[in-house]
Amino acid sequence: MMHPHGPGHTAPRPDGRNIDPALGLLEGEGALAKVRDLAGAFPGRAGRLMEAKTPADALARATATGLPTYYDQPLLQEPVWKWYIPAYFYLGGLSGAASVLGAVAEMGGGRAFRRLAQGCHLVSVAGEILGTGLLIADLGRPARFLHMMRVFRPSSPMSVGTWVLLGSGAFSTGALLLSRRSGALGGLGHVASAGAGLLGLALSGYTGVLLANTAVPLWQEARKSLPSLFLAASAASAGELLEFLPLRRIERKMARHFAAMGQAATLVSMIALEREAGRVPRVTRPLRRGLPGALWQGARLLTAAGLGLGLLSRRHRLGALLGTAGAIALRFAVHHAGKHSARDPRASFAVQRAKPRP
Amino acid sequence: MALGFFTDTTLCIGCKACEVACKQWNQLPDDGFAFTGMSYDNTVHLGAATWRHVAFVERTVTASGPPSGQMSGVGDFSWLFLSDVCKHCERAGCLEACPTGSLVRTEFGTVYVQPDICNGCGYCVPACPFGVIARREDDGRAWKCTLCYDRLKGDLEPACAKACPTDSIQFGELATLRHKAQARVEALHDRGMTEAYLYGADAAAQPGTEGLHCFFLLTDRPEVYNLPPDPVVPTRHTKESWRAMAASSLGLLAAATVVVLGARLAERRGRR
Repeated sequence: MMHPHGPGHTAPRPDGRNIDPALGLLEGEGALAKVRDLAGAFPGRAGRLMEAKTPADALARATATGLPTYYDQPLLQEPVWKWYIPAYFYLGGLSGAASVLGAVAEMGGGRAFRRLAQGCHLVSVAGEILGTGLLIADLGRPARFLHMMRVFRPSSPMSVGTWVLLGSGAFSTGALLLSRRSGALGGLGHVASAGAGLLGLALSGYTGVLLANTAVPLWQEARKSLPSLFLAASAASAGELLEFLPLRRIERKMARHFAAMGQAATLVSMIALEREAGRVPRVTRPLRRGLPGALWQGARLLTAAGLGLGLLSRRHRLGALLGTAGAIALRFAVHHAGKHSARDPRASFAVQRAKPRP
Repeated sequence: MALGFFTDTTLCIGCKACEVACKQWNQLPDDGFAFTGMSYDNTVHLGAATWRHVAFVERTVTASGPPSGQMSGVGDFSWLFLSDVCKHCERAGCLEACPTGSLVRTEFGTVYVQPDICNGCGYCVPACPFGVIARREDDGRAWKCTLCYDRLKGDLEPACAKACPTDSIQFGELATLRHKAQARVEALHDRGMTEAYLYGADAAAQPGTEGLHCFFLLTDRPEVYNLPPDPVVPTRHTKESWRAMAASSLGLLAAATVVVLGARLAERRGRR
């Protein structure tokens, strides 16, 4: 076949490297990167270019604000997680809090609340399975999900969380299958239930630690209130979902009270987060504007509505439904606000120029 | 043996030979040919396929005279150039966040992503306070500067430093580089360029990262070059978060206990 470069040459691969395969070997350290979609490889880049300012604009803004930036370009890379991750935050938190309630109901109530305990185990197993699926789907290389279990790295909240999720999943499955049996198997089921309860505390809160352990100004500056917020929202989510299971009247009331405490704590934690991260006002800007701002305020309204309907009316299921929507909106609000926060170089600069926190 | 870069921005002429050498040696794909209008910078930022990036800062001449830096010769502004790169922090946020052990510290003191281990979880990406490491969506893994690990193995200096025509990028043993850099700052001060200073040269200069293995000599505030003024590796604060989580999880346990005991009391009262 004739080729414009002459015989013996093949066309360069469309991989953006311009290396003729007949002449060059792909052995460089970046050569392993698979290129399928040159234009779509960096979804963030289009946004960066849109935000690019000409030298004159950048200079004018720097003079006006007194805060220089590099053509308003983001300082940080934007988090790459997709909707799977906030959805997992909801499901993982739900599972953890359900395990806690299930364990306490089993230990403190004996056979009286066995349907509630069983319902809790079921909810947590379902949440853990679905949540794990979402986590795997979000990986850039889903086939390598087992690499998560190569090491235990205490400095990485994601590594800690992986092991917590694994242990919690094993325990809550054991509790679901065994705790209603009699004899030794039943005893083993109770031990599993207690283990799931203990790990459930970590499962519903570690995601807050995970987000706080980033350079994203909003998440980093909310490092004390984020774990509390996620724990509170987890209790609310679990209680709300249990409302829909076939439970005894008193058990449904228990779920409702558990949800109410979670909802009240969520509303308090949201204010605590706004105050903690708002020490430098620029940081909480994403919570007041745009899509994340709308989600954040929507989560607050829906949670308050769920709390009110659950306690003061008879429309419990409507309340639980609104509360669930609020708990989901809250996770998406935190996730999207973090993405917006990462795009704002002034937020990082302002935090680092401010006096250190006490 | 700790190896690193000392990037002296007062010597940089913005030729981008480092960018080209890096792309060529490492066989990195292009990341689009965009025109930004941001001075001569169409590279914009470091990324998964861009491991060196030359920043072009334009500053106007003020009443107090021309600012230091290369005079542009085409208008009343001066240029500052900085060839940005992964800092290979002494305490690295990406490395401490990596849950798979893909990110490791090499025998040269550099931070390296093992492509055969990385599963693309994306946690290192927001963990870097400099916005260096990034994930390629089509490849699915995280990529960044390796400080030419393959060349170091063969006793060669990294491609960017080799290509730099003005020695703005100096490669070497970290302790030696620090001495050289200090001497350079003093020499510049003697010549009247008192605004010259070192960025991230050691733990004392940048406690948040415990010092950078690739540090810089700058002549204006770090923000001007899109460098964070006081970066802190996120893991330095993780204990605070774990403590807050532990305290709040007692609240969750208490809530469950109150609910269950309350219901038991109510049932007993109802039976009576």
